Amino acid sequence: MDLLNSYQNNYLIVFVFLCLGILLPIVALFLGKLLRPHKPEEAKYTTYESGIEPFHDSRIQFNVRYYIFALMFVIFDVETVFLYPWAVAYDKLGIFALIEMLIFVIMLAIGLIYAWKKKVLRWM
Amino acid sequence: MNLDTLLSYEWGHMAPEFIILAVAALLSLLDLFLPKSYNRRSLAWIALVGILVAVVSLIGLLDSKSVSILHDTFRLDSFGKAFKLILLIGAACVILLAESYEPKEGLKEYRGEFYYLFLTGLLGAMVMTSSGDLITLFVGLELLSISSYILAGMRKKNPGSNEAAMKYVINGGISTAITLFGMSYLYGLSGTTNLKEMSGAMSAQAANGQFLYLYGLAFFMVLIGLSFKLASAPFHMWAPDVYQGSPTPVTAFLSVVSKTAGFVILLRIILTLFLTMPGDDTQKLSFLETHSIYISCLAGISIIAGNVIALRQRNIKRMFAYSSIAHAGYILVAISALGYFTFDAVWFYLLAYLLMNLGAFAVIQLITDSSHSEDIADFAGLYRRSPLLAAGFAVFILSLAGIPGTAGFIGKLNIFMNALMTDPGHFVLASIMIAGTVISYFYYFGIMTQMFFRPAASTEKIKVPAGIGAVVVLALAGTILFGVAPNTALDFLHNNFGSFNDFLK
Repeated sequence: MDLLNSYQNNYLIVFVFLCLGILLPIVALFLGKLLRPHKPEEAKYTTYESGIEPFHDSRIQFNVRYYIFALMFVIFDVETVFLYPWAVAYDKLGIFALIEMLIFVIMLAIGLIYAWKKKVLRWM
Repeated sequence: MNLDTLLSYEWGHMAPEFIILAVAALLSLLDLFLPKSYNRRSLAWIALVGILVAVVSLIGLLDSKSVSILHDTFRLDSFGKAFKLILLIGAACVILLAESYEPKEGLKEYRGEFYYLFLTGLLGAMVMTSSGDLITLFVGLELLSISSYILAGMRKKNPGSNEAAMKYVINGGISTAITLFGMSYLYGLSGTTNLKEMSGAMSAQAANGQFLYLYGLAFFMVLIGLSFKLASAPFHMWAPDVYQGSPTPVTAFLSVVSKTAGFVILLRIILTLFLTMPGDDTQKLSFLETHSIYISCLAGISIIAGNVIALRQRNIKRMFAYSSIAHAGYILVAISALGYFTFDAVWFYLLAYLLMNLGAFAVIQLITDSSHSEDIADFAGLYRRSPLLAAGFAVFILSLAGIPGTAGFIGKLNIFMNALMTDPGHFVLASIMIAGTVISYFYYFGIMTQMFFRPAASTEKIKVPAGIGAVVVLALAGTILFGVAPNTALDFLHNNFGSFNDFLK
C-alpha cells in the first residue's frame, strides 16, 4: 500500500493550498476591518469605475463580434507562440520542422481565408 | 530529424488519409471562392469521387505488410485497413444521402460546409483506425467529434437541430474529459504515449497490486469515456435527442461512421494495453478476463434499455437512436466475450449494420423530407405509394431485427456463437441478446404493419432522387448478398487480413 499512500499523500499539498486560499482573504479582510477607521459616506458606496461617474446598468449585451475577434486573435497568437521557438531552434530542427511548420501555417491560412470570406473581419 | 529519415518513411501508405485531407481542403476553398449563385450541391460529387479514390488507393495497399510511420503515430496494419474500408464505404453512402438532403428551410450558404465537414470527420475516424499512439488517437477522436458537433447543428434556424448540437457538445465534452483523464493515468504510470511500449511497461508493473489498482481506474475511465461515443447505456442519454434533432444524413453518419470509429478506438486501446497485462497478483488471468464484467454490464444494459425504450417511440429517428443503442450492445457482447473470432464478429456486424442502417436511413430521409414530419404514421401505406421502396425498407428492417437470409442475422449469429464458444461461455449475455432481439421484433414489425397494412394518407407517388436510390440499391444488394452468402465477406476478410496477427506486433 506504500505507493498508493504516497500517491494520496501528494494531495495533502493540494489540501494545504486550498486551506491557505480560503484563509488568506478571510484573514486579510478581517484585519482590514480591525485596522481601518469606520466613516461611512454616500460617495463611498458608489461603484468605482476608474474615476468615471458610473452610468446605467453594468449588465449590457456586448456585440458578439468581440468574441469572434478574440477567437481570431487567440488563434494567431498561438501561431506566433509556435513560430518563435521554431525560428530560434531552426538550425537544429532542420527540414522536417520546416515542412511541419509550412503545413501548420497553410492550415491556418485556410482558416484566415475562411474568416475573411465569411466576413468575420468586417465590423458590421 | 533530417530529410533522409523523413523520406525513408513510406508515406504512400497514408495515401487514403492524404486524399481525404486534400479533397476536404479543396472543397473548403472552392466553397469560399465560387460565386454565390453557384449551386453547391455539385460539391458532393467531388467529395464522393475523393472517397472513392481513397477506397481504390486503400485496396491497392491491402497486400502490403504492416507499416509504421513516425514511431507508430501512424500504423497501417490489417486491423486499420479492414475497418478503414468500412468507414470509407459508410462515408461514401452518407455523402450520397447528403447530396439529396433538402430540409424544409434549405441549407442555403451552408451546403458546401455540410459536405466537407463529413470529410474531416471521416479523416478523424480514419486516423483513429490506424494509430498506435495515444496522442494521435485522441486527436483523431477530437477531429471526428468536433466535426460532428457542427454537423448536428447544421440547420441553423431549426430549434431541434440547435438543441441537438448543444447537447452533443456538452455530453461530448464531458466524455472527452473523462477519456483524457483516464489516458493521463495511463501516461503517468507508464511514462509513454506509445501503445506498444505502454503495454510492455504495464506488464512489467502489473506484479505490484497498487499499479494494478491504478491501471484499473484508468481502464474504467477510458472505457466510460468511450462508451459515450458508442452511445451504450447507461451513457446513451444524448443519443436520442441528437439523432432526432440532427439533419438525417448526419444522423446516419453518427449512427454508422461515428459508432464504428468508437468501436475501433475501444478495441485499439483496450486490446493493445490490457490483453497481455496480468489481471491479479497470481498472474494467471489477464487483466481483460478479470475486468470484462464491466464491458458485459454495459452490453447487457444497452441491449435491454435500447430495445425496451424503443417500444414507446413515435418518432422514427428517435426509435432508430434507441435501436442503435441496442446494436451497440450486441457488438459489446462480442468484445466482452473475447475470443479467437471477436475481430471477425465485430467487423462483420459493423459491415452488416452499416448496410442495413444506411439503407433504412435513406428511406427515412426520403419519407420525412417529403412529409415534413418524423412520425412513424408517415410510413402508413408506403406499400401502396411505392412498392419497391417499401420492399427495400422491409428488408432493412428484417435485417436489423435479425431474420435469417439477411446480413443482420449472420452478424448476430457470429456474435452469439462467439459468446458461447469462449470458456467459460457467456450464457447470460447470450440469453439477454436473444431476449432483446425478441423485444425488438415488436417495434421493428410495428413499422412493417404501418407500411403494408395501414391506409395511406396521400396517394401521391414518391419520387426517388438518384443519390438515395443508389444508397438503397447498394445497401439492399449488400444486405441480401452477405445474408445469403456471408462467406464472400468473411473469405475476403481472411484472405486479405489473416487473423489480424499484426495487431499487437
